[in-house]
Amino acid sequence: MDEKKLTLDVMDRGAVYCDIRKERWYSTVLNLKDGVPETIIQGEEEGAMTRVLYGNGWGYVGTADMSSLESAMDRAFMMAKNSDPLRKQKTGLAHVDPQHSKVIMPMKEDFRDISPEEKLDFLRDIEGHLKCDFVKSTDIRYRDTLVKKEIITGDGTHVEMEIPRTVTYMIITGKSDTVQMAVHGVGGTGGFEMSRSTYDHVDTVKDMLKNLLKAKSPPSGKLPVVMDPHLTGVFSHEAFGHAAEGDLVASGNSCLKGKIGEKVASDMVTIKDDPTMDGYGTFPFDDEGTKAKNRILVKDGVLNDFILDRENAWKLGMEPNGGARAEDFRVKPLVRMSNTILEPGDMHFEELIEGIDRGIYAKSTSGGQVSPAQGTFQFNAQVAFLIENGEITRPLRNVSFNGFTLETLQKIVGVSKDFETGVGHCGKGQSAPVTDGGANVLISQVTVGGRE
Amino acid sequence: MIEESVKSALGHLARLNLQGDVYGERSQKVTFSIMNGEIADSTEYEDMGLGIRVIKDGRIGFGYCVPGKERECILRAAELSRLSGTSGIILPEEQGICNVKTYDEKVRNALEDGMGSELCGNMIDAAVSTHKDIIPSHGGLFMGSGTRVIGNTNGIFLSQDFTAIAGGIAASIPGERTSLVASESKCSRRMDMDFEHLGTLAGDKVLSMKSKSENPSDKLPVVMTPHAMGMLLWFGLIPSFNGENVRKGKSVYQGRIDEKVAGENISIVDDPTRDWGMGSFPFDDEGVAASPIPLISQGYLRHYFYDLKEAASSDTISTGNGTRGSFKTPPQIGDRNIIITGKNHPVQQLTEGKVILVDGVMGAHTSSPASGDFSVVANPAWLVEDGVKLGRLDGLMLSGNLPGSLETMVLGDDYEKLYDTIGSMSIRMELPSIRLTDITHSG
Ligand SMILES: [Zn+2]
Repeated sequence: MDEKKLTLDVMDRGAVYCDIRKERWYSTVLNLKDGVPETIIQGEEEGAMTRVLYGNGWGYVGTADMSSLESAMDRAFMMAKNSDPLRKQKTGLAHVDPQHSKVIMPMKEDFRDISPEEKLDFLRDIEGHLKCDFVKSTDIRYRDTLVKKEIITGDGTHVEMEIPRTVTYMIITGKSDTVQMAVHGVGGTGGFEMSRSTYDHVDTVKDMLKNLLKAKSPPSGKLPVVMDPHLTGVFSHEAFGHAAEGDLVASGNSCLKGKIGEKVASDMVTIKDDPTMDGYGTFPFDDEGTKAKNRILVKDGVLNDFILDRENAWKLGMEPNGGARAEDFRVKPLVRMSNTILEPGDMHFEELIEGIDRGIYAKSTSGGQVSPAQGTFQFNAQVAFLIENGEITRPLRNVSFNGFTLETLQKIVGVSKDFETGVGHCGKGQSAPVTDGGANVLISQVTVGGRE
Repeated sequence: MIEESVKSALGHLARLNLQGDVYGERSQKVTFSIMNGEIADSTEYEDMGLGIRVIKDGRIGFGYCVPGKERECILRAAELSRLSGTSGIILPEEQGICNVKTYDEKVRNALEDGMGSELCGNMIDAAVSTHKDIIPSHGGLFMGSGTRVIGNTNGIFLSQDFTAIAGGIAASIPGERTSLVASESKCSRRMDMDFEHLGTLAGDKVLSMKSKSENPSDKLPVVMTPHAMGMLLWFGLIPSFNGENVRKGKSVYQGRIDEKVAGENISIVDDPTRDWGMGSFPFDDEGVAASPIPLISQGYLRHYFYDLKEAASSDTISTGNGTRGSFKTPPQIGDRNIIITGKNHPVQQLTEGKVILVDGVMGAHTSSPASGDFSVVANPAWLVEDGVKLGRLDGLMLSGNLPGSLETMVLGDDYEKLYDTIGSMSIRMELPSIRLTDITHSG
């Protein structure tokens, strides 16, 4: 079946817009638990998602049966046509110049050329480096995926791309008075070379566990907090990035609505979301076929841009910037982040902590949650340290903090020159690979929750 | 049709002289999403696939495929099995399977007749009509129907249809600096949901958030609604019953069978045999017959739960807790239909005196699965006196320890079914509101 013709036929029947996103996925999943291969999966699958906008109504139909693409498209057309009269609000798509291109993102070491045996040997070697007296249990999870996508739109875009991604998570456990766990992930867009650098992070995860094992509960109350680059990255993603997603802004679900050009953070804060830089969330075109662009969300404290797909750009009267991402062919694209970075400043780490009488230095994170509409956030640090009289004293665990995003961004009073990134999977109903990164950042006051 | 594919795969396994099991799933789903007060779009997806586990010399290889590709998939899985460690896994043989209700023709019909749009519309209208300032800012409705099939080379071949329906709506009142948001959601396997009521509840809930109370400085009891409690328990307590965590020393319950670990009123059972439970099914995803597994009975720890593989490692038998996120993931140990029972008090009694009422927690997933320690933000939460909401509480942090809380928790009588997915795992529970007295709150 000629997909180009399929889209043109639907346009001829009166659709405002339609597209087909064909995907073929190849993946290898390996899990080495305490040195024993637990899960070994190699899989391959394909499918397509079709979308039709008729008047103001949308219909999305996906299928794993490529021979039924035509009937899927037809069904999407009917769903869109039926829902059009029910819609009260107008919708549309912002214009983008049609793209015609094929981009194959490179792998220095093609993971398809490396056998599962070799990959397992690599994981076994990592395990050897992780093992020591205080590490009681190891769990190493490796995944590589290659997706080949083709996007054909009713308004002339036809792009093809191949995106390889590799990630390795190290999870180690130890026991003191209670069982403690430390996790660190390494990966990116690219081939097996991404995983080779896992060795450089073995000490990071071991140090975390070592400190957790001798850590105590934190003080609670309002305290100054220094976030390490990993936590800063996750903070920028969770607390700020989600609120900058165009769909949430346009539907009134974001605390940033109507604030473009306004001061939303201290002068020290510049945050970008950049799918074109090296990272785990990198892509050349988004899942509507729009060319990916760097978005400077906050520039020197001033709100500058949102992450936008075509529909929400239309609603907000802005330019689409490649913000549409779908987990796979089973689902519609949503506005998603890619590589979210809080740009480093010019201070030294020592300068950040020297003036703190009593505060917390928080490293990495075991997760967080946000409410973009209310503009509130909650995070846990993986491990933290007490700062007393300008010096780091003892390790803490179960440190979590919360606050209002916009208040907290104004309270950023120091940004160091260090820069690091981390990998993660963002959940918004669908999972998306992302990179978060930044510098060490001092927040003058945050609510810290603890049991003491 | 999915039955035929499973049979075909079993035939290939037999011809290749291989041991193994084949899981097949065919499902049809439709989702309506709510944005800014109306249905923004709907998505349909039909999925079908097989997950094939090949066991060769005790080593397991796994692959997944679409129907028609069974043979290639088996050969690839057999090849991969070489690399895995040996396991003493023993596949089940034919057993008595109980009857469990999981399929409602009415849901299937509603799905096919495209009724979702109307039901979703009812939910939106009800929320809007509670107050003029309220916008149903987001939410949605889900309907699904399908068939699950499991067969193995020991002669098991089981198939069962299922349906599910769920709705959720967030009602918001936009404000200058921050919006107020409250959401309400429910799920069922039957066409017995009142979507209008759901909309009304969400509307009323956000209205009750308009006035604000100061966060209390004195220690108060905390009453958790089923939704708030379910998330905390799933992340902070249930992992301790997982046989693998127990064997590896990652559970507070290791070596404590028959010890008193909870108040003598408290029982926790994983019961997939209850009709219409969100995790109910007459057999698990490895073909083991379902039966209720008492985890804690009247305060005493009685059982851990196991799938086939962990049962082999722990030298015990599977409790029927082999679960799969989809046909693409191999079986893993998981809870199926967790229910907390005990002395149930009328829910009004739980909010007698001054209490903190918590309807949701942010950051439940940051709870420690090994120790059960948690530190989360209550959102939404209210200060309540004798059942009357005095005002909402902002940014209140709650810290505590879940296994410890079992000693003193008091159960309400307002049971709700919960369903959520976290990665390839599912949360499926039936819980009432629960009053906790040993929670530290701050902020
Ligand atoms: Zn996220």
